[in-house]
Amino acid sequence: MLRHLFTLIWNRKRANLLLISEVFFSFVVLFGVGAVLITVGKNYLAPRGFESTQVWRLLVRAGQNQKMPRAELDDVLRQVKALPGVQTVALTSGNLPFTFNTNNSDFVYKGRKTPFYANTYDADDRYGEAMRLHLREGRWFQPVDDGTHHRPVVISQDLREFLFGDEPALGKIFTYAGAGKETKPEDEFQVVGVADNVRMESDFSAAIPSVWKRLVPYDTTHWETAAVLVRVAPGQGGALQEKIARTVAGVTRQWTTEVRVMEDDRLHRRLFTLVPVVGLCLMGLFLIINVALGLFGVLWYNISQRRAEIGLRRAMGATGAGIGAQFLGEMMVVTTFGVVLGGLLAAQFPLLHAFDLPAQPYLLAIAAAAGAVYFITALCAWQPSRLAAAIQPAVALREE
Amino acid sequence: MLRSYLKIAWKVLMRRKFFTFISLFGVSFTLMILLVVMAIFDHAVGAAAPLKRVDRMLFVNTMRHQMADGHGWMSNPVSAHFVDDYVRKMKTPEKVGVTTVSSNATAFTKSKLLPLDLAYTDGDFWQIMDYEFLGGRAFTGAEVTQAQHVCVINEATARAYFGTTDVVGRAIEIDLKRYRVAGVVRNVSAAQIYAYADVWVPYTLNPQYTKDSRLNGEFLVVLLAPSVAAVPAVSAEYQQMMKRVPIPQPKEVKAIYSYADPIVPGVTRAVFSTNDPSLHNDNLTKFYALVGGLALLFMLLPVLNLVNLNVTRILERSGEIGVRKAFGAAGSDLVGQFLVENLVLALVGGLLGLGLAAGALALVNEAHPVAYAHFSLSWSVFGWGMVLTLVFGLMSGVYPAWKMSRLNPVAALRGSGEQK
Repeated sequence: MLRHLFTLIWNRKRANLLLISEVFFSFVVLFGVGAVLITVGKNYLAPRGFESTQVWRLLVRAGQNQKMPRAELDDVLRQVKALPGVQTVALTSGNLPFTFNTNNSDFVYKGRKTPFYANTYDADDRYGEAMRLHLREGRWFQPVDDGTHHRPVVISQDLREFLFGDEPALGKIFTYAGAGKETKPEDEFQVVGVADNVRMESDFSAAIPSVWKRLVPYDTTHWETAAVLVRVAPGQGGALQEKIARTVAGVTRQWTTEVRVMEDDRLHRRLFTLVPVVGLCLMGLFLIINVALGLFGVLWYNISQRRAEIGLRRAMGATGAGIGAQFLGEMMVVTTFGVVLGGLLAAQFPLLHAFDLPAQPYLLAIAAAAGAVYFITALCAWQPSRLAAAIQPAVALREE
Repeated sequence: MLRSYLKIAWKVLMRRKFFTFISLFGVSFTLMILLVVMAIFDHAVGAAAPLKRVDRMLFVNTMRHQMADGHGWMSNPVSAHFVDDYVRKMKTPEKVGVTTVSSNATAFTKSKLLPLDLAYTDGDFWQIMDYEFLGGRAFTGAEVTQAQHVCVINEATARAYFGTTDVVGRAIEIDLKRYRVAGVVRNVSAAQIYAYADVWVPYTLNPQYTKDSRLNGEFLVVLLAPSVAAVPAVSAEYQQMMKRVPIPQPKEVKAIYSYADPIVPGVTRAVFSTNDPSLHNDNLTKFYALVGGLALLFMLLPVLNLVNLNVTRILERSGEIGVRKAFGAAGSDLVGQFLVENLVLALVGGLLGLGLAAGALALVNEAHPVAYAHFSLSWSVFGWGMVLTLVFGLMSGVYPAWKMSRLNPVAALRGSGEQK
């Protein structure tokens, strides 16, 4: 039966070519939309690794080419910390969560070089507390680290797995990938802790391996802009924001201040993914509805054209259900041709690791797109098939 | 002849309403999506206040330093020093204005934080751009030179800070510094990157901007050519001028590049020329080819669908075709008739699509995806929509028409719809 159907379609391949190509393109569209949705959805459901509620970001800018002395900066931080409602104040680098700034680098341990770029953050001793990072091993930076020869770092679990595998990680020293034989001690990183994976880019991005490098308190680096994380008590609002701005201005009028709520950044950043994804889904939906209506019309017409054939077959003893099944089956065979062609194209994505994504979402998307295409064509063929099944042999043959 | 074709076309459309509905649905929604995308593009780069004279404007976005020994590239906007010493001395431009990419600033109103986008400009900027003033005026070149604490704010800021727009002469505190409001302008869409800000202040108020002696800095330059025809001349003079600019730190920097481009080439050069080879090419053709290709790709599925439907409908009409062929109609006559029918369908679909696009844009405007943006269908978008409709009609009509002309009259007359 099935072989018979395939031969039938194959013999009429010219006539079915348009239908097959339509199924093919629908499959490709569904695969594309599916791959995006699956990737984005999977990321969204993964844990974020830190808590951004009640964290504000405070940027203090000295201006271009103007440096702020660390002593003065520390004075600012001390005064902000002393404000009622402020719980923790941590100094970090400008690549704050949900902003568009990134600092990254590749690293090497015993000749094993990371094939990816890990995000690097400067962080002081309070950073872990301000972001509520969850440590799996070891501890956060402490004043006892002052005496260490190498630079203490905390790394994320995914980086730990790559660099050290099953071996213990604490106390190990790794360096920048580009480092030569003579590495400076501050470019040698000694692991003091391992944190959970973090997703700091946006709600919809995957976890990125991360390294937090300790900012030493007596660091004499001069800053153009200082990025500060402020964890506040619940329920704090604009009044405290203004107080913080005025406190910074109280130390020096030359600097400009920006106090923003991190949750606002998160919601803002989220739009940059949501808007294109929703647009893509709407377009995909429209294309599929379009194709579905078209298929329905064509099948409906085809069946009314083949009334004579159906009448003859009924007269020869075929049942109504058998006829209906045949039409449905023919459509499924056409769909199979389209899906196989589309599948061949789509399979290139996981094979070539397109866009540096893992294979799993692609395979899921292929399965989902195939399922959806079969479902849609079956739905479109169902009503016309029923019409065909209901044709009475006597009526159909009389017309001829 | 054409009239009878049109009449037939109308009769055919009305006969099978379901098929007509499917075809119109496909055509109109496809066009709606394309028109919405084009309206957004037109909004960002088209001529509209304050960039009313955009066809006479050129923009300098970056100064690119190619570092020596393959150390990559460094791209920044240009410095005030570069603008004063080189760009302002150019002969062909009528006016040279500067502005910065808007940066974050903060004001506080009765214990509420008011985030603002602030841009630094000079006096000429206000003469190149045609802002709509609700009150007051722009700050002048003299005020900029004297570094007076004046500002121009937009309507939204005036309402949020003062509660009214009638605020000329009053003081506003931004980033804890006080400014006198010189004028209030109508809100400018954030999609118009060269004109958008909430607050504008004289660039001389930021001492870092004027002290700097490097070529790269913070400024976007807007040049106004005396006429549309003079735009290439301004661009060419800018290139001549760039040749005279000495390379800073020749040991580290191999070459410097900067261009004065009209608005679209300025963007395409930045987007497609991330690396050296195509730097002198603004990649405008590549951009249009890419966009055109994407649009065709997007139209492909609806077109295929329409072709499929049309082929089906021809078979349905094989009786009619057989009769016409038997009476001596040539294949070309039938092709012509069918194309006319299809174009009528596409045209109706196109008009529907235009209506749908207007509705969709109203919805988009309602949702405020971009600050202060108001998207609308302009005449140029309407024209492009009609062109697209014709392309759509032809694309979906040619193959079925060809097929129709090849129907065997004998078989067709029998009504079996078999093809040779």
